[in-house]
Amino acid sequence: MSNEKPVQPEVDQEIDLALEKALGAPQAPPAPYVYDYKTSPNRQVVMPKTVPLSGLNAYLAEKAALEAAEEAKWQKAQADYAAAKAKAEAEGAPEPKAPVRVQPKKEPDLTVPVPSEAKDPDLLRLMALLGDGVEEAFEQSGELTCQVARERLLETLKLCREDAALKYEMLADETATHFPAAKDFAFSVVYHLTSISRSKRLRLRILIPEGFEPQSAVQVYAGANWLEREIFDMFGIRFQNHPDMTRILCPEDWEAHPLRKEYPVVGWGQRDVDFREDRSGMLNRIALEKAGQLGINLKRPKAE
Amino acid sequence: MGMREPSIVENILITTKVEKVLNWSRATSVWPLSFGLACCAIEMMAAGAARFDFDRFGSGIFRASPRQADLMIVAGTVSYKMAPVIKQLYDQMPEPKWVMALGSCATCGGPFDSYHAVQGVDKIIPVDVYVPGCPPRPEALIYGFMKLQDKIMNSSLADRYREVFEPVE
Ligand code: SF4
Repeated sequence: MSNEKPVQPEVDQEIDLALEKALGAPQAPPAPYVYDYKTSPNRQVVMPKTVPLSGLNAYLAEKAALEAAEEAKWQKAQADYAAAKAKAEAEGAPEPKAPVRVQPKKEPDLTVPVPSEAKDPDLLRLMALLGDGVEEAFEQSGELTCQVARERLLETLKLCREDAALKYEMLADETATHFPAAKDFAFSVVYHLTSISRSKRLRLRILIPEGFEPQSAVQVYAGANWLEREIFDMFGIRFQNHPDMTRILCPEDWEAHPLRKEYPVVGWGQRDVDFREDRSGMLNRIALEKAGQLGINLKRPKAE
Repeated sequence: MGMREPSIVENILITTKVEKVLNWSRATSVWPLSFGLACCAIEMMAAGAARFDFDRFGSGIFRASPRQADLMIVAGTVSYKMAPVIKQLYDQMPEPKWVMALGSCATCGGPFDSYHAVQGVDKIIPVDVYVPGCPPRPEALIYGFMKLQDKIMNSSLADRYREVFEPVE
């Protein structure tokens, strides 16, 4: 960072000198500007190990696994019984009790809505139009969700907006999630579409790995501009062809992206602000710049 | 040895200190800066409105410009992005000026022990009165304000001068 610092104009240096002379402080405030979050153990981040990304496939897989476990248990119980019976016969002891298979309760659990096959005409139409571009489509408690291939996102959005049978005119929200344990699909970007004319809502989502840059939705929905800036600010996902890919909530010289799972609640980005002897915050800025921390997030991270 | 009879001049004049007159005039017309950061600002608005009526203390005139204000009521969460702005507003207020930290956010960070919140506005600017609560009721704000009036009434010009002009260690 330090060896590629741009050459400062002389005026800046003069101001610098004048400030140093006036305040008699060659080294700007000695206070640490960034908290060392590693020294306080209760500030450490515990990374979640699970991948709680819900969906029809995940639900079915989970159900199948449960059933298989149940079956294996039953098989083992039967084998145990057979062995015990043979042993009892050989020794002339009374026969052991036969195992009873526990039947699952008939009553469905109504409290948790489970995902089900896509039956809604909108989802069916999307599946017909996109073919294998749709990775997964399901309904859950009346909400439509469609997971599309990340390369075909823009096409899907255009379809949703312009197709006469879909007509989703509005992007109500765009957000993202981070589940670091799922390596190749650690992030998901979620689009909540609303059709005002048809009073319907649709959720689109794409799964992306770390460092993938999805296409910006701004060309289709102009309202995505600030939403995507927020996603970049909070998760560090950059969008291709976005008109202004800068931070929107955090200060521009902020470090890292706060809504990532590896971000400690307190620590990164926090700094001691004490302007009392530094009335305009000038020394602070100079110190930040000297430490190479000013505007670090305005630069693009280098490709590994 | 009775008390001395007041002279004619003393009957028609009240003698006092210049300082006292100044303090009295300052304490009874403290103009706050209209400036709210979060939920606590709603309570500040309530305090200014008809029911609680901040005007009774001569301080209901919320000024829109820091150059006309005497009191900065920091009502709400101070984020790192907002901190330099608050500092600048404070610097633009003319002396003598006072600061009141309203609510636990402004006094100590409150519920936001988190990456974005400055843990108390006193990290940036000197605070005269702290009002705890999340949010404090308008009565609490008024009580805090009366405490500030006490402080102003008891302040001396010399102290103020020292505070402002002596270098900070
Ligand atoms: S102290 Fe409570 S009410 Fe006041 S700004 Fe903070 S969170 Fe809001």
